[in-house]
Amino acid sequence: MTTPLFFKILLVKRLGVMADKFDEIKGTWNYTNLPKNISIGKDCWFERKQSFDRFRSKLDLGLKIGSRVKVYTWTTFNIESRGFLEIEDDSILVGAIFMCADHIKIGKRVVVSYNVTIADSDFHPVNPSERIEDAIANAPYGDKTQRPVVMTKPVVIGDDVWIGVGVIILKGVKIGQGARIAAGSIVTSDVPAGATVQGNPARVLENS
Amino acid sequence: MKNNIQNQLSHDWYDQPLPSNVSIGKGSWLYSSYAFRHYNSTQTSGVIIGTNTGLYNGTFFDLGPEGKVSIGEYCSIVGAIICTNKNVIIHDYVFIAHEVVLADSAFAQPGIDNKEKTGCSSTSIEIHDNAWIGMRAVLLEGASIGEGAIVGAGAVVDFQVPPYAIVAGAPGKIIGTVKK
Repeated sequence: MTTPLFFKILLVKRLGVMADKFDEIKGTWNYTNLPKNISIGKDCWFERKQSFDRFRSKLDLGLKIGSRVKVYTWTTFNIESRGFLEIEDDSILVGAIFMCADHIKIGKRVVVSYNVTIADSDFHPVNPSERIEDAIANAPYGDKTQRPVVMTKPVVIGDDVWIGVGVIILKGVKIGQGARIAAGSIVTSDVPAGATVQGNPARVLENS
Repeated sequence: MKNNIQNQLSHDWYDQPLPSNVSIGKGSWLYSSYAFRHYNSTQTSGVIIGTNTGLYNGTFFDLGPEGKVSIGEYCSIVGAIICTNKNVIIHDYVFIAHEVVLADSAFAQPGIDNKEKTGCSSTSIEIHDNAWIGMRAVLLEGASIGEGAIVGAGAVVDFQVPPYAIVAGAPGKIIGTVKK
């Protein structure tokens, strides 16, 4: 049965208890309240609306999610005003915290486990005097437009990559197709396709 | 074991009852039945929690159909995610810190039949008396933490840790022993 997404949302909203009958979308919250610059493909599954609480992209398209993507409780789309996050078809996000100031791209069939952080920026300047300026501008009632420019580099994660529990992926990292990132790794440099990496900083395992 | 908490926790904000195959001992505290949001265990006793144990905000039992967890007495679990389709045994007086994950594999998914390897014993992870697991540590299948041992913050463990050892790092290494 292929009911258009729009009608499913209406049905879920009207009937509430019927929601479980649609395997594709669960939860009785109103998906139509999401910002207009979020695009969601067919048959996705989102556990909590709170995943979108920290979405504040001002771009025409700030978040693009492909078809059949599964998003669990712990996932957070923390996207800044110039950020763009792209997730392709059939990916599973268990507990990914995306800290996106520029561009993060996740390929097809990627599995992201619990307590994973993926960031494409340092979010504060490395230079100490600029960091004082940043602290002042970033005060609760400070002028946030005065914040210094912070270095960002896009993160690209290829198809069929598996990311283990507690991994942190830092800015500018490119992970090749089919790579596996072992639990607790801190990924600071590129990972070749098909490799398994482990440790802090993450290194390629010889027997992989 | 006597179940002193009704199926619906009196202090709960989440409107689901506890699963029927969960037992919680006298003097124990569970923050919410939300801990069983991804719970699929069909075992007769899926989760057994002893007496005087605290399970605080952020603790989850993401069990597959064959998953079983037993927790002893006087444990403090301050937000650990237990994701297994096997047996996880936690003995008495164990401290587990924030954001700790106990899982069959690093790529386990909540409440699913996570059977990657075959021929392994059905006990996935065991934590013995008086062990202490630091924040953001990850325990994977094969981890057995000896009595009184300490697992440092962020450590990854999938091996046997002798009693009173100190483990740190990813992958975890034994870096010393506890002075008694």
